[in-house]
Amino acid sequence: MIEIGRLCVKIAGRDAGKKCIIIDILDDKYVLIDGETRRRKVNILHVEPLNQKIEIKKNASHDEVSKALDELGIKALHTKPKQKTAKPLKKRKTPEQLRVRKEEKRKLRNIFKPKKKEEKIEPKEATLEQKAGLDEDKKEEKTEKKAAKPKEKKITPKKKE
Amino acid sequence: MPAPRLRSRSLRKVFRKVPGGRVSLHHKKKRPKTAKCGNCGASLKGVPRAFPFRMRSMAKTKKRPERPYGGVLCSRCMRQAIIDKTRQ
Repeated sequence: MIEIGRLCVKIAGRDAGKKCIIIDILDDKYVLIDGETRRRKVNILHVEPLNQKIEIKKNASHDEVSKALDELGIKALHTKPKQKTAKPLKKRKTPEQLRVRKEEKRKLRNIFKPKKKEEKIEPKEATLEQKAGLDEDKKEEKTEKKAAKPKEKKITPKKKE
Repeated sequence: MPAPRLRSRSLRKVFRKVPGGRVSLHHKKKRPKTAKCGNCGASLKGVPRAFPFRMRSMAKTKKRPERPYGGVLCSRCMRQAIIDKTRQ
């Protein structure tokens, strides 16, 4: 049953249930298929041969397969080939560009750096006495004492001539 | 009285016979059953064992195999179903 041009149904994988034609027999295990499925190599255990057979040459192109299948009323799968895009060439950066990049990086680094704290002289905490206003009374007492002291002058005895 | 966090119905209760002979109540996390084949009942590969709220956030391709009857029949049953259909 496994021969070139045999109509089959794929029974495994994501193409299961789709019809295809055997295009080539690769060895005693594998065949090449094309049709509603993707054009690919498959294990013969993964295809179920049908009664129909199409006359097709070995390794026929996808267009030939699709034409042959059109006669049977089966639409072959058409995939658009991927457009090849050229890989962008890598360019070496000039020393100036490198310098600019380095500076930018340094700037960014500085953003996240914690700023140095300015040493602030914190005023001493007010004591309870200061808060209560008792401290002022003490100051007044001190000033009074100071004022009283200079008044007390030592009386030195005058030397007799 | 169990701990307040265990008094919710988000945990399932399991009665376990402990070595001392008494039966104690254990609280286990709930987990959904694995998906089963509609024909033979075999557990399906490629279908995650997750709650619907997690399945909703998953991509369609992550929820079931990408083949006909994926997530419904196992691969063996699907193959047999297709063969039966073609041989009719």
